[in-house]
Amino acid sequence: MAYVRKDVSTLTRTERRRFVNALLELKRRGEYDEFVRLHIDYYTSDGEAGLRTAHMAPSFLPWHRRFVLDLERALRRVDSSVTMPYWNWTRDRTTTSVPWTNDLLGGNGRRSDRQVMTGPFAYSAGHWTIKEGITDGRFLTRDLGRPASPLELPTRSQLQWALDDPVYDVRPWDSTVPRGFRNKLEGWGSGSGSASLRNHNRVHRWVGGVMLGGASVNDPVFWLHHTFLDLQWYRWQRAHSSHRYLPAEPPGLGDPQHERIVARHQKLPPWDVTPDGLEDMSRIYRYA
Amino acid sequence: MVIGAGGVAVGAEQQVRAGAGRVTRREVTRGLLASVAALALAPVVAASRPVPSADGPEGASFDETYRGRRIQGSLLTPLTGRAAPGGEGEGEWQVTVDGRPLHLMRRADGTWLSMVDHYSSYPTPLAATRAAVDEMGPGQRLRDLAPGPVGGSPAEHMHMEGEHGVRA
Repeated sequence: MAYVRKDVSTLTRTERRRFVNALLELKRRGEYDEFVRLHIDYYTSDGEAGLRTAHMAPSFLPWHRRFVLDLERALRRVDSSVTMPYWNWTRDRTTTSVPWTNDLLGGNGRRSDRQVMTGPFAYSAGHWTIKEGITDGRFLTRDLGRPASPLELPTRSQLQWALDDPVYDVRPWDSTVPRGFRNKLEGWGSGSGSASLRNHNRVHRWVGGVMLGGASVNDPVFWLHHTFLDLQWYRWQRAHSSHRYLPAEPPGLGDPQHERIVARHQKLPPWDVTPDGLEDMSRIYRYA
Repeated sequence: MVIGAGGVAVGAEQQVRAGAGRVTRREVTRGLLASVAALALAPVVAASRPVPSADGPEGASFDETYRGRRIQGSLLTPLTGRAAPGGEGEGEWQVTVDGRPLHLMRRADGTWLSMVDHYSSYPTPLAATRAAVDEMGPGQRLRDLAPGPVGGSPAEHMHMEGEHGVRA
């Protein structure tokens, strides 16, 4: 029977504690850092050669769906009552709302060095040392809202703008496409500056610190963010039931995207699974 | 590179990867480190002559102190025939912050992102490097080696079903 993923703001005190403890246990075992590294290793940019699976590509959504599911399975091996909660950043929008509470992910970084000082993931609590990092900092960092140059979390209307696009993705299937649900949700705009940052990308920027870098998985909010994005894919599928993952067929030999993206029935590395096989999760989990 | 090369046993795949000259980010970084040593030989010279601005299309290097950190970058061999539609004169940039390599990536629109700031892109390597410095906390340094696949892939430890090493 499918289990239920909940809005993190609705978790009971016990549910919060069990979720946090399962994360800390994966970290203690060394399993968590394998997830951090996997995400780093699969970040291929679209201005470079090679197959893109996790970002700047149609498979952004199925790749992260499977990635979240793998962590959730690991958490449930530790504690079978745990499911992955999501952070609705269109509603919980301040630096002190969930999930930035001491019983969940802890608060903002301090001003001097952005070190997170509160909650279970503070370095000083002794359970969350960053090992797979871009810098040599051993502690979790955050810079919520980027006070030096403030920006807002994506709004409900910006998220709706993505959901309203009935086409999953369009050629050339990369970070430059102005249309299609996938990139409107992933959030690559044109130009520089915060105006170009939308939805997924904008949230990474808003949290800041390690969430901004290649090792963003080091901040457990990564999972709550991507579970919320996963929910949006589900909502998009329900709203546009005649539409599916695109492309259905691999780009041909003469196409610049030949062998650089994953089509609907192609394997999605590093897993032995296809986007087609990840479209319907209803036998595994559902959203509250 | 073949997507979804079905039928290759995982064990065989590992052997192929070990011997096939598959360039990992780690290997690239090793190359960078060797070059960093070369860079270190000429810092005074570099600092005392004008360096063309990397903000312009002709910029091929930069060397400056930005927010107390020494940032240096240079265009290695301009590459041709790369698959990217990013535009003209593109090539591999070698960038360091306080002597340590900062990995830059190119977007299809020709802009740049770094390992430190992975979710925004900047018009030039210099701008991307400055943005990375903006995000590095005081006293933090880049790790000696940028993260990348080394030894076994994490997938092996995560018991994933079949990694078909298609990363290029």
